[in-house]
Amino acid sequence: MATKKTNDLNMNFRLNRRTILKGAAALGAFGSSFPMPAIAQETTWTLANSMRSVANPYHATFAKGGEDFAKSIGAKYETLATEGNSEKGVSDIRALLQRTGGKLILNVDPNDSPDARVIVEEVKKAGGFVVTQWNKPDDLHPWDFDPNYVAHMSFDGVPTSEAIANELFKAFGGEGGIVALGGILSNVPAIERKLGLDNAIAKTNGKVTLLDFQPADWNEQKAFDITQAWLTRFGDQVKGVFAANDGMGMGALEALRQNALAGKVPVVGIDGIDAAVKAIEAGEFAGTVAWDPLWTGGMGLAIPYAHVTGKIDITKEGHEHREFYGTGIIVTKDTVADYKNNPPKVDYNDLWGKATGQIQYRS
Amino acid sequence: MKPVAVVSGTFLKHWRRWAPVAVLFALCILISLFNGNFLTFGNFIRLLNSAAIPIVLCMGATFIILMGSIDLSVEGVVALTAVIVSLLVVNDISSYAISLWAVPLAILVGGVMGLLNGILHVKLKTPSFMTTLGVGFAGVGIATSILGGATVRISDQTFRFLSLGRVFYIPMAVWIAAASVAVAYVIQERTRLGRWLYAIGTDETTARHAGIPIERTRILIFAIAGLFYGLGGVLAAAQFGQGHALISQGRLFTTITAVVVGGTALSGGVGSVLNSVIGVFIVVVLANGLVLMGVEPYVQQGVQGFLIIAAVALALDRSRLDVVK
Repeated sequence: MATKKTNDLNMNFRLNRRTILKGAAALGAFGSSFPMPAIAQETTWTLANSMRSVANPYHATFAKGGEDFAKSIGAKYETLATEGNSEKGVSDIRALLQRTGGKLILNVDPNDSPDARVIVEEVKKAGGFVVTQWNKPDDLHPWDFDPNYVAHMSFDGVPTSEAIANELFKAFGGEGGIVALGGILSNVPAIERKLGLDNAIAKTNGKVTLLDFQPADWNEQKAFDITQAWLTRFGDQVKGVFAANDGMGMGALEALRQNALAGKVPVVGIDGIDAAVKAIEAGEFAGTVAWDPLWTGGMGLAIPYAHVTGKIDITKEGHEHREFYGTGIIVTKDTVADYKNNPPKVDYNDLWGKATGQIQYRS
Repeated sequence: MKPVAVVSGTFLKHWRRWAPVAVLFALCILISLFNGNFLTFGNFIRLLNSAAIPIVLCMGATFIILMGSIDLSVEGVVALTAVIVSLLVVNDISSYAISLWAVPLAILVGGVMGLLNGILHVKLKTPSFMTTLGVGFAGVGIATSILGGATVRISDQTFRFLSLGRVFYIPMAVWIAAASVAVAYVIQERTRLGRWLYAIGTDETTARHAGIPIERTRILIFAIAGLFYGLGGVLAAAQFGQGHALISQGRLFTTITAVVVGGTALSGGVGSVLNSVIGVFIVVVLANGLVLMGVEPYVQQGVQGFLIIAAVALALDRSRLDVVK
């Protein structure tokens, strides 16, 4: 009896330990990537999206866009997260190239601009195909790495930021002072969005003045504290708050709420996160710009896939199809219902349908 | 001759003890010279509001640092508890809606994370630096996988009262922070645990010889710190009306900075939770003041760094003269 019991216990223990080990293995895999269940494969190519982290809504949707496309063609798909670490980003990609024997189609939002060059070179060496998003050095061009560097996609921060700033001005009657929260100073989107704001202010001929500009480093908490300080410094001179992304906009909105000003002082942001869309419906946000990451996430794989399946020859496409801007959607109180009822659709056959011109280099 | 030297020595000791307070006062005077609005009641409330969450977090972190350890799991615990509490109150993703009952639950989750910190650190003898870093990452990881990158929007007004509510014109979060300080002060001054953690921080070997249960104390203190971070997570969710995995970004740096600026030595054994309250106010007043004075954003970070080093230098000097045994 006693022996049996011990045996039982041992078995239980083994079972537990095995379960734990399994769990640990799953966790380990989880840390580096999210292996998706292998589905019936119709292609030998592996598809992957690489981005900073799935902890933020933009990148989570970006990853989902890639997964949706992979499902539509029955391909194996993986998500790689850099967790803000360039080294990890590059080495995960290197490992995946190794594992797939170079049969990899990669849609990557590099952690930092210089990473793009390393990634492109690695992919070319292995014979895979890559599309980059947002960040790359100005002198790195897809056509210099034919055919493996398929394309670079981005969004033009200047006109979108100018448009959303105008929505803010409209919301408070077009006359008065505003305060603005910027991103990390050295960041390309942060610089572009500031430029767009400056353009919009200049065009009001002095009717709208910028009371103060502070970088809050894309951080909600910092935005909250800075907005509080502004309320002390400027009081009711603040007619509106411009935030270079929705996260900071939410921080500003909560600071306004603490001072019973939510809904009275309009806020605008950029990115189109759910919370911002809901704040527009509540009349607290005057607007945001939605980037359509479902489209960038899927199309960054669909274009190279069209090339490898012979549907297009990417080397014969013009520069405006190799380096292009996507379309930002301006969401305001007037358009929010329509935006929610008819979310932007992705048509994988219309490869450049939402492209809005070749990328410009301003510096 | 001799008595004079003793008197001036005591004076110096006193001065060092009060150095962080003096720094805070000097800052306040300087800022109000530039901008009179600084001294208004409205701004006072805003400062308290900005200080509330860092104070709660610092209560936990101070204990750990007094013990001579470090806790880098702050952001992980805050992220996880904020996500959990936001899913348990009325929100747009889940439908548990247990309202304020979610608060003790989330705090408890924080305590369990802290307990995990303590057990791993003590039993595996891994440095607290690495252990808490790992547990912190795990916290953010779990919070991320629960939500998959989404944001929970809280619509529970009873819960949001914890941040938005006012009692005698003072925001609820500030009352909660004040209560945390009281609890931490009692633990520090009136319990054996409090005395033990100073003993461990000052000289662990001696403390061991004196028969202090080092392991048990360490584990318990890490767990208590976790409870404070859990409360911090609850307040963060109440303040922003949402829960997501990145809600705690930047909290760790502010917390450790505030503790050290307040005069608690990273080497352990010297300092107090009250010092950390002053430390938080120095950091918060500085951030508020730089905006009020209209200092160029490009210069601000430099000024902030310089002033923090200056404050720490004062505190360091004091610790050499005033070893608490």
